[in-house]
Amino acid sequence: MNEIVMNGLEKTIYEEKLGNGLEIIYVPYEDKNNYIITYGVRFGSEITEFTPFKSSKSQKVPAGIAHFLEHKMFEQETGEDPFTFFSKTGTSANASTSYTNTKYFCYGTKNFEENLEYLINFVNSPYYTDENVEKEKGIIAEEIKMYADIPDWKLDAKLKECIYKIYPRRVDIAGKVSDIEKITKEDLYLCYKNFYVPNNMFIIISGNFNKDAASKIIHTKLDSKKSKTLPVVKNYKEIIEVNKKYLELESDVNVPKVGIGLKIYRKDLSIKEEYYLDLYLEMFKTILFGSSSEFREYARVNNLTSSFGTEWETADKFKTLLITSNTTNPDLFIEKIKSLLLNHEIREEDFNRIKKVWIASEVKIIDYIEATESNIYDDILSYHKIYNDRVDIIRNMSLETLNKLIKQIDFNNISVVKMISKKE
Amino acid sequence: MEYTVHDFGSYKLYMIKTNKFKTITTRISFRTSIKKEEITIRNVLCEMFTQSSKNYPSKRSLAIKAEDLYNVDIMSRNSRLGNYMSTDIYLETLHDKYTEEGNFESALEFFKEIVFNPDINNKSFNKDKLNIVKNQASDSLNSLKEQPTYYSLIRMFEELDDSPSSYRMVGYKEDLDKITETDLYDYYNKMIKTNLVDIFVIGDIDFDKTKEMIQKYIKINTLKKEKTPYVLNPKKPRLKINYKSEKVNNSQSKLSIACLVNNLSTYERNYPLTLCNIIFGGGVDSKLFKQVREEKSLCYTINSVPNKLDNLLIIRAGIASENCKQTIKVIEKCLDEMKKGKFTEDDINVAKEFYKTALDDIEDNETQIMEDYFLSKTIDTDTIDIKRQKMKEVTKDEIIAVAKKIKIDTVFLLEGDQNE
Repeated sequence: MNEIVMNGLEKTIYEEKLGNGLEIIYVPYEDKNNYIITYGVRFGSEITEFTPFKSSKSQKVPAGIAHFLEHKMFEQETGEDPFTFFSKTGTSANASTSYTNTKYFCYGTKNFEENLEYLINFVNSPYYTDENVEKEKGIIAEEIKMYADIPDWKLDAKLKECIYKIYPRRVDIAGKVSDIEKITKEDLYLCYKNFYVPNNMFIIISGNFNKDAASKIIHTKLDSKKSKTLPVVKNYKEIIEVNKKYLELESDVNVPKVGIGLKIYRKDLSIKEEYYLDLYLEMFKTILFGSSSEFREYARVNNLTSSFGTEWETADKFKTLLITSNTTNPDLFIEKIKSLLLNHEIREEDFNRIKKVWIASEVKIIDYIEATESNIYDDILSYHKIYNDRVDIIRNMSLETLNKLIKQIDFNNISVVKMISKKE
Repeated sequence: MEYTVHDFGSYKLYMIKTNKFKTITTRISFRTSIKKEEITIRNVLCEMFTQSSKNYPSKRSLAIKAEDLYNVDIMSRNSRLGNYMSTDIYLETLHDKYTEEGNFESALEFFKEIVFNPDINNKSFNKDKLNIVKNQASDSLNSLKEQPTYYSLIRMFEELDDSPSSYRMVGYKEDLDKITETDLYDYYNKMIKTNLVDIFVIGDIDFDKTKEMIQKYIKINTLKKEKTPYVLNPKKPRLKINYKSEKVNNSQSKLSIACLVNNLSTYERNYPLTLCNIIFGGGVDSKLFKQVREEKSLCYTINSVPNKLDNLLIIRAGIASENCKQTIKVIEKCLDEMKKGKFTEDDINVAKEFYKTALDDIEDNETQIMEDYFLSKTIDTDTIDIKRQKMKEVTKDEIIAVAKKIKIDTVFLLEGDQNE
């Protein structure tokens, strides 16, 4: 077990790797009541076509399968419902699927060792039958419809379709009702056997627990699991340009919505290390669009936006900036964003102030076991390592590097989606 | 944790000392009996606090100052607490150990600036800022249907009765349009002069120094009294269930149900009702989740929550409209099982464990400790330790007795009729 001291944050965490490749991170706290255990797998909605090891045949599975599999993981051959098991000790459990991964977790204050053991057991015991697969379709169809009724969700989906031409980021995580209708138990077993393998999974434990006891359980339960060469996932030759520059759609909204996506080809950017690149991109976004930015003040004073959000995503070989807003004047909003992306000035005082804010946030986050778990989860998933000197990295960021990076971005490679009221 | 209270007459100061957190959270709460026509103007005022102040004339200048103080978080919200409306403004700041000596005091001074030195000239608030807030509020009021779950609940409450339960806490468009900068000034003064005021500070603080700082920055000199009880009067039961619906252009329908739970003692309201709800519909191990979702595949979401101060239990589900009748039938069956005591000692123990975890959870979160302390001081709930003790002793008979008081009153369906 390796000790990692989180510099400047008064926290020590521990990491361990089993012989079969399973990664484990322990973040013990002495002054908390709770703990959270997360069991993650690098299998998300974007994988729907792959060639298993030693096979020459490419396999295609319906969209939404990773999410469907997540739901069905809670079905056990014994008939016991994992929720019921965890509930006995007041522990909550749940799971979530994203584009790139699936996570199963439990959160509680008691019965740590039994709960850890149970979480490991149920994620390692798939049990799919024709009947239980059929039964789930009704539940998931309602979940899909629930999201489909939210205009912001619809806008986001349309924006991704405009940005990506073939890469599956353009497909909703849960798939369509017509996709999930096609899912069979064979599809589920195929995905499970190929991706739910120790060298493709990791466990993160944060909170009040004994790390040595936890490690012992994990070794006992999982040492015997064999690693497996991962399938070759289809390489999508996604185009560098956005798929569609402009889309206008009508929906049941009173205030129009706009989504803007800036698609950047990763290879155009010279910062090699992903973690550093993401920090600089985030800095750029915060200075231009954060709560203390000039743009936000302009938008407020001119009643240009009533809700506003920005987010970076990494998809395939791209870094994409997503900007969404409710706006009574969509055309002006689009024009302003476009011109700001092309003409802006990064001031040193803003740059230094945001650094100070970020360092303060790192200190605050470490107080919360869930936020810390979530941070580490993202590090492991995106960077395959934990950055323990994040405070120093932030402190040492340079304006020169940021300005150089900005020059490498093609700000004209954007998609715009305008959602207007049906009544117009 | 150490607690201390000071009554300064015009306000009370509650302090909690704990070294579990790296932050210090300060909260000021203004409370008054709720009046429907004041909700909107109070929401606007609540927003104005974080829009600008006398010395920081724009939201941007406020944001820059907050960032300079090592990213202090300032948040304001307006919510209903039974028959009362509470406006709470929070300040979260890192302890000086992690920033620099005097940062907390500077943050408190900034907090004072925001709450007690607003952007007022000639007895009126800044008109431009007011327009920004009004426009944003107007947009969000116009977009309520975009949040179908929430909209369905609002509509259901409006069909229930005309007590404070039915008030839209998001406000009303017609009230919003009328608000002028001088109205807002008058309302602000009224709030400061007539509302009950409480201040809470939690963190690794020195009681004497913190008290001194609070007294230095927060000066309120009026005495207030309120006699209105927090719990609403019981609603009159109907002879027949009140069914209402509204059609929308959605693919999923949102079912919202209000059940009356009248004649509860304070003990029943805080303990047996809580456990009864957990078993009935509180979580993923509840009767509703198991029977409506897992057995019948009728929904993705279903749950119930008690609105304790309103004597209500609320049930919500997202369903296909054609399954509405069947869903209600299963819900009724689950409720009937509760009344007949068709649940085991194990179910009760599970509910107690959940309750216990929720209590443990409170102690891991600064804001929640403060909230719990606030409720114990305002609506007289027990402290966490007493809650732990009393909850343990709740019996099955007591849960059944509460379940028997639950009566479905109003069923509202926000009916979606589109398919994929």
